[in-house]
Amino acid sequence: MEKPKKCKVLLVDDEDIFREATARQLAVRGFAVQTANCGEAALELVRNDPPEVVVLDQEMPGMHGSETFINIKRINPLVEVIMLTGNTSVDNAIHLMQQGTFDYLMKPINIDELLYKIEDAHTRKQLNEKKRPDNAA
Amino acid sequence: MRVWDTSHLLDTVPAGKQAAEHVHDYTDSEANRKRIRHHFRQLQTRLVLGLLLGFLLPNALLTAYFHFQFTHTLKNSALLNLEAVAENQKNTIDLYLQERVVNLFNLFHSREFSLQPNQESMDSYLQSLKRFNDGFIDVGFFNARGIQIGYAGPHPQLRGRDYSDQPWFKELRAGSRNYLISDLYTGLRNIPHFTIAVRQVFDGTPYSMRATLDPDKLYVFLRAISHGKEVETTLVNARGQYQVVDPARSPFPASSSYVPPGSPAAGVEEIELDERATLVAYTWLKETPWALLVMQPASVAQSGMYRTRLVLTISLAAISLLVSLVIFLTIRKVVADARRMAEKGQQLQEMLAHASKLASIGELAAGVAHEINNPLAIIMATSGVIRDMLNPEFDLDHSPEAICKELSTIDTAATRAKGITKRLQEMGKARMPVSVQCDLNALTAEVLERLQRVEFKGKHLEVVTRFAADLPQILAEPEPLRQVVGNILVNAADAIADKGTITVSTAMQDGMVSLTIADTGRGIPAGDLQRIFNPFFTTKGGGRGTGLGLSIAASIVKYLGGTIKVNSIPGAGSSFTVLLPVK
Repeated sequence: MEKPKKCKVLLVDDEDIFREATARQLAVRGFAVQTANCGEAALELVRNDPPEVVVLDQEMPGMHGSETFINIKRINPLVEVIMLTGNTSVDNAIHLMQQGTFDYLMKPINIDELLYKIEDAHTRKQLNEKKRPDNAA
Repeated sequence: MRVWDTSHLLDTVPAGKQAAEHVHDYTDSEANRKRIRHHFRQLQTRLVLGLLLGFLLPNALLTAYFHFQFTHTLKNSALLNLEAVAENQKNTIDLYLQERVVNLFNLFHSREFSLQPNQESMDSYLQSLKRFNDGFIDVGFFNARGIQIGYAGPHPQLRGRDYSDQPWFKELRAGSRNYLISDLYTGLRNIPHFTIAVRQVFDGTPYSMRATLDPDKLYVFLRAISHGKEVETTLVNARGQYQVVDPARSPFPASSSYVPPGSPAAGVEEIELDERATLVAYTWLKETPWALLVMQPASVAQSGMYRTRLVLTISLAAISLLVSLVIFLTIRKVVADARRMAEKGQQLQEMLAHASKLASIGELAAGVAHEINNPLAIIMATSGVIRDMLNPEFDLDHSPEAICKELSTIDTAATRAKGITKRLQEMGKARMPVSVQCDLNALTAEVLERLQRVEFKGKHLEVVTRFAADLPQILAEPEPLRQVVGNILVNAADAIADKGTITVSTAMQDGMVSLTIADTGRGIPAGDLQRIFNPFFTTKGGGRGTGLGLSIAASIVKYLGGTIKVNSIPGAGSSFTVLLPVK
C-alpha cells in the first residue's frame, strides 16, 4: 500500500521492544523511521539529520521527555513533536499542549491513531514552512 | 561514602508510607485518643496529688501544730488562773484567821482582864469577840493545869472541866508558838467546831484563852470570797479531812478524795473527780496545817478555749476545703482545656494523614498506570507487528516461527505486567498486623536458604553470615519481615555482576536489633542514593526490576518502628542496615 508524502519520523523511547515494534509498524507503512533510546541520542539526530515529526516518550531515564522536547524546539522550532505518555492526568495533557507539543498520545497506543497524528503533524509542519520559509532550518 | 537514613526519606515517599500505614491507622486514631485521655488523666491525678501534698499536707501539719499549741497554752492558762485564785483566797483566809487570833490576844490586854475572871468578865469577853466577828461561839479561860476556870457561851456545863487531856491543850502547852488553831472536831460538846487558843504567861504561870468558832460561818466566809463559774472552794487538813462543813456534802467528819501533796506549798493539777476531769489548785495556809482547795470542772474552766478552738478549726477546715475545691476545679478545667486542644491537634493530624494518604493513592495510581502501560504498549505494538505480518499488502515474513517470536515478546511483556500487579498485592498483604515474637537470625537464615536455592543459582556468590548469638527476639510480623530481608538480599545479589561476597550480620545496636546486609557489588551512585526508596525507582534494566522492592522494605521497616540505613561506595559495594526495636 502506497501513500503520498510519507514523512520522516523520529521515534524516541527507552523501552527497546516497544520502540522497535512500533518502528517496524511505521516502516512497513512507508515512513522513513529513525529511532533513539534516549533524549541525548534524539537531539543528536535532530541536529544532524532533522526529522519532520518526532514521536517522543515522556517518561525516560536521563533526559526527561519534556526536557528533550524543549531542546528539540530550540534546535529546530519547526519540527513537530507528538508526546507519548503513561500519565493519564488532564493536568499533564494541558501542560504538554501549553508547551507547544503538537499532540499527545496515551500509552498503550493504537497504531492507527498514531498514524493520523503523525500525518496531521506533518501537514501542519508543511503549512508552517510555507508561512515562514525564512525560518525553515 | 554517603550515608542515607530512610526515616527522613519516607516522609517524602507517600506511596510507600501509605502502604505501611493503611490498616494500622484505623486502630491508631482510637489508640491515640486513648493515649491522650490516659495522659491527661495522669496529669490531672498528678496535679491533684501535688495539691494535696503541696497545700493540704503543710496546712494540716500547721493546723495540728497550732491546735496542739493553742490547747496546751490555754490549758496552762486555765490552771494558772485557778492557782492565782487559790493563792488570793488563801491570803484572805490567813488574814481572817490571824485577825481571830489577834482578837483573842487582845482579851489579855483589855481593861476587864483578870486572872480569876468572874462570869460577868467572861460574858463581856464574848461580847467583845462577837463584835469583831460573829463566828465566835464561846470563850473560855484556862489555868496552867488545864481547868476551864472561866467560860461564856452556849455550853455552861463546860465550866470547870479539865481540858488537860484535850489534844489542842496539849499541843498549845508543848508548842513553840503561843497560839493554836485546831482542826475541826466535835470535842466535849459533840458538835463540829474548831478552836483558837492563845497562851500568855503571867508571873511565870501560863494561862490560856480559848474561843471556838462556828464552822458554818467559815463556810459562809469561804463562799463569800470564792467566785467563778462552778468553782468550789474548801479547806482540808493534811489527811484530806474537810475543815468546813458543806451542807451539800456528807456530814462531819468527811474526807476529800483529793489529798494535796505536802510540798510544794502550792500547786495545780488536773484530776479525775467523780469521773469528771477537774482542775484543782491547792495552797497550804500559813496559820494552820490546812490546805485551801479550789476546784473547777475542766470542761467549765476550758469551755471558752474549746469554743474558740472549735470555731478556729472549723474555719481552717472550711478555708482549706474551699481553696482545695477552687484549685481542683481550676486544675480540672485547665486539664480539660489542654486535653481538648490535644485531641483537636490529634484530629487535625489524622485529617492531614488521611489527606496525604488520598494524595498518595493518587500518586500510586499514576505510578502503577505508567508501569503497567509500558508492558501494555509493548503488547499492543507487537500485536500490531503480527497483524502487519499477516497483512498480505505488506508482504512480510509470516512464518509460524516469526509469529511465535513476536508472541513470546508479548508473553514477556504480559509477565512483566503480572509481576507488577503481584508486587502491589504483596504490598497490600504486608499490612496484616499479626505480630509475633520473631528470631531475626532464624528468619534471615531461612530467607537466605530459600534464595540460595533459587534466585542466587548460577552466580558465584559467597554468602558469609555473622549472627549475634544472644540476639533478643523482636515483636514483628514474620512475612513482611521476610520480604524486607528478601528484597535487600535480592538487591545485593543483583548488584554483584558475576562474582562477589554478601555478608549478612546481626547485632544489638543502641538498644535495637540490627541486620546488616553488605555486598561487594557495583555500589549506588551518589545521585541515586536519595531515590532508591522511591516507588518505581529502579536501575535494573530490561524490565527486571519493578522499583518497588526497597520502597516496600522501607515502608515495612518504618511500620515496625525501625529504620534502614544505607552506606555505599560506587564500585566497591553497598551495605544496608535495618534497625528494629526490641518490643
